[in-house]
Amino acid sequence: MSAPVESYRSEPKNVYRFGVFVLAVAVGITALSTRMAYLQLVQGPAAYQAAGDTQETATQSTPSTRGLIFDATNHPLVTNVVDYSVTVTPSDLPLDQEPAVASRLGSVLNLDPIYIETTIDSTTGSLYVPVKIADGISAQVARFIQENSDVLPGVKVVVSSKREYLTKDLFSDVIGYEGQITASQYANWKDLGYSNTDIVGQAGLENQYEQLLRGQYGTQNVLLDAAAKPIPGLVNTTSSPVPGDSLTLNIDTYEQTIAQTALAWGIGASKVTKGVIIVENPQNGKILAMVSLPSYNDQLFSDGISDTAFQKLISDPDQPLLNKAIGAQYAPGSTFKLVTATAGLVAGPPLTAPPENQTVGSLSPSIDTTSTLLSQPFIQIGQYKYKEWNDKGWGPLNISQGLAYSSDTFFYQLALLVGLDKLTYWADQYGFGKSTGIDLPETATGIVPTNDWKQANHEDNMFTGEIMQAGIGQGYDASTPLQLLDAYCALANGGTVWQPQVVGSIKNGATGVVTNIQPVAMNRLKSQDGNPISPQVLTDLRLATRQVVTSRHTNNLVDLPIKVAGKTGTAEFGNPDKNNVLPYHEWFVGYVPANPYVDDFTKPDSQLAVLAFVYGANTQANVATEVVKYYLMMHYKLKGDPFNSHTEGYIPSWVTRTTNFYGLSAQD
Amino acid sequence: MSILRGETLRLRGWAPKAGWLAWRNYDFQLTTYAILLTLFGLAMAYSNSVGSSHVPLTLSSPFVRSIMWAVIAAVVLGLTTAFDYRWLRSLAWPLYIINIGLLILTLRIGTGTGEAGAASRWVVLGGFAFQFSELAKIIMVVVFAAFLADRQSKIKSPWTIIGALVILVPPWVLVLMQPDLGTSLVLVATVTGLLFMSGASLFWLGTLAAAVVAAVPFVWSKMADYQQARLLTLLNPGADPQHAGYQIHQAETAVNAGGIAGKGLTNGSVALPVSTTDFVWGVLAEELGFIGGMVVLILFGLLLWRLLACAWRSTDPFAMLIGCGMATMILFQVFVNVGMVMGLVPVTGIPLPFITYGGASLVSLAAGLGALQSTNLRRERPEW
Repeated sequence: MSAPVESYRSEPKNVYRFGVFVLAVAVGITALSTRMAYLQLVQGPAAYQAAGDTQETATQSTPSTRGLIFDATNHPLVTNVVDYSVTVTPSDLPLDQEPAVASRLGSVLNLDPIYIETTIDSTTGSLYVPVKIADGISAQVARFIQENSDVLPGVKVVVSSKREYLTKDLFSDVIGYEGQITASQYANWKDLGYSNTDIVGQAGLENQYEQLLRGQYGTQNVLLDAAAKPIPGLVNTTSSPVPGDSLTLNIDTYEQTIAQTALAWGIGASKVTKGVIIVENPQNGKILAMVSLPSYNDQLFSDGISDTAFQKLISDPDQPLLNKAIGAQYAPGSTFKLVTATAGLVAGPPLTAPPENQTVGSLSPSIDTTSTLLSQPFIQIGQYKYKEWNDKGWGPLNISQGLAYSSDTFFYQLALLVGLDKLTYWADQYGFGKSTGIDLPETATGIVPTNDWKQANHEDNMFTGEIMQAGIGQGYDASTPLQLLDAYCALANGGTVWQPQVVGSIKNGATGVVTNIQPVAMNRLKSQDGNPISPQVLTDLRLATRQVVTSRHTNNLVDLPIKVAGKTGTAEFGNPDKNNVLPYHEWFVGYVPANPYVDDFTKPDSQLAVLAFVYGANTQANVATEVVKYYLMMHYKLKGDPFNSHTEGYIPSWVTRTTNFYGLSAQD
Repeated sequence: MSILRGETLRLRGWAPKAGWLAWRNYDFQLTTYAILLTLFGLAMAYSNSVGSSHVPLTLSSPFVRSIMWAVIAAVVLGLTTAFDYRWLRSLAWPLYIINIGLLILTLRIGTGTGEAGAASRWVVLGGFAFQFSELAKIIMVVVFAAFLADRQSKIKSPWTIIGALVILVPPWVLVLMQPDLGTSLVLVATVTGLLFMSGASLFWLGTLAAAVVAAVPFVWSKMADYQQARLLTLLNPGADPQHAGYQIHQAETAVNAGGIAGKGLTNGSVALPVSTTDFVWGVLAEELGFIGGMVVLILFGLLLWRLLACAWRSTDPFAMLIGCGMATMILFQVFVNVGMVMGLVPVTGIPLPFITYGGASLVSLAAGLGALQSTNLRRERPEW
């Protein structure tokens, strides 16, 4: 430890600089310790709890399996299929690689790379939010993209579920479609667990049964990373999704198909575009078929409808998206004479505001089946002539004859006789002017004009002529096709207005328990004194509607082996043509007894009622009657010529038609 | 052949002092502190692997990988300790060339993760991702130490500083191109510390510092957006809560949550970005609390003390500078990483030595410490 020791030290060390370094270490460690003490001891866990509800976790929903829809014979009408879509997350795609990725993606997806780049660049949201590039790609392409993710940074394949509508346009008006949740739907449903990006039912059953079909979305808490993206694996499921309920309709595909076939033939034959056919069981309100033409293919919506295609649908004057059976109202025409006839046959309460020539306190006038009213070429009120439809009349008619000939002058007089109040009372009893209660989004409820209604809309009371028109379903009268069918169902079943039901049973998505929908009576017909309507009145009216057919007012409908009763309607609307003839809709609503081969309409046992409506048909023979006849022939699988060859010349296409439907022989 | 001959000669010269005398000079404290810090790192890797949801361990879990890397690091520590550090002085320039080659290789074939997306920082070899920029830190300590030791006679010349900067620029640019702002800052800090400790002119160092400050506006304009955002976020963390500021917010929340004693290992619940690497201190502070954090900070303090002690006792400027370089590098990384988590310095991707999960970092540290221990063993004159 002497001289040689010193000689080993090759360099003198700078003690000051070492001192500065040691000081730097001390200062550094002290600074960190002080900050640590401040954060952990001074602020401490209290600050953490205060910040506890910041963004460390987020609740996410896990979609449930949407319920399916089956027809009455349990054939699926709607299924769910896997849908692959491609997204790009801008924050994961380096700018300098964007053109290369866009061109690779473009060649795989068969898209213009410029479109892809524009889509990515024009997104206004956070860079961390994926931008959808393509939808509905094939599983093969999806797999290819995932396998090549190393050259496609930021590109992801998102797997989701979408609806597959299996029947094209056959059930579209009934089933509807799904779409992006609207602001008002979100406001109404957010407490039920809906998010503002959900896809929900927007029309038809998809909308009506939205919550049942959807089931319950599951929720999970996910831990978020710095970019507020869920960290894989750190997921805490708080509730599992509950599958949605499945619906089984009262409609079966065959009935719907033949109904559509009959209607399509009818509107084609009369060279128009719009029409409705509805089939219902009068005993319980079950809807057995419902077709509104023109229709649309609901799969378009599931596949992601383009703006141009959607604009085309909503700007089409024929309103293909509208279910015209429940969403549009038309003048019911002579079919409405059922209401006037009922008002005539049922005694009313003492009058408070009597028609002319009646005294206050007297019984509201009624007729019986033997009373006659004189049909005549026209009835003149002031300067206006209210014409008989054949411009001649048939002389004195009782009510059966009045209905059978559909005499307008008979019912003008009857309407004036019973008065507006009694007429509107019975219209209300039959369900006109209000919701039918059907399990579909119903957007029209019809009009039954009263003095109050006219004051509200036209600031005047109903004129005498208008009351007369109200008695024959013209003027202000408006009804949806379904309301009219329901009224005739009430006639056919002895006085009950049932709530129409499209869905027959609901299968619980979680338990598998099937619940059958029980029929609901909307109303049981009763007279103004509160007593149920006399069964005899309805029997008389059923026999009268049978006479409509047997009198050949409906041409050869009576020649069918099955027995049909019903009523035609021809309702003028719009503006007259150059011959001063108004265009007119054609209606027929009919029903058959439980045993269709026995001509007995005294029993209220009908299980099949059909309504056909052809918008602006303008045919000489009532094409709606022919549509119903065609439907019934297919329904009962009758042999023969459905095309009414003896009316040759009225509707030329009837005789040139050669297509063979369901074993029916075409024109011989 | 000449290398082989040289080795024989040196071994002969060293041989008489072999055995117990050499091991008397071994700094057991230094190694002990390093091992203890590594054990903390393993604990954090375990916590990150298992988590509060008790994910089963697999071969690819960070914990299992960390154990493997710790074993490799121990082997490297032993080998570099046995290796005569004076060889490093002559090998410094070949190492420098290899280092630049590896950094170019990283840019060419590297892959990256993280917010920038375009980053290429990792080279994947046989299933192992290796970050050569970690190795670059140690190699550059050796290169600068060799350079400055060679210039001891004219150390005050401004050319010493300029020469050091010329050496710094190629690897620094390559690291920035990855882009790895953190490592580039570590390189600058290391060369600054080494210049200071080597006795370089304070006047010229001060002049250089002033020049750098003057250049700030220019550099700012060249920075990547995310780098600018991070700096801005440090100044006002509330302005951008979802992104860069969100990281700081979450990190501070995690440190808050720890309290005095912590929530216990694996019980951390505050979501942290890159919790196994850059933000590992957040996990440590939350799970081990103030007490655990202070233990680690004190261990770092002791480790730095031993590094400086080794440097002080060295008999050779090269050895001294290796010790000082290691100390500068570790101090800078500890201060920036821990300070970043606690909101004292901007967010940069700088790992916490020994604690951060990552084989390259640990193995490189082991190599550096081994070299330093090698200087201890080969000190010609014992201190006592």
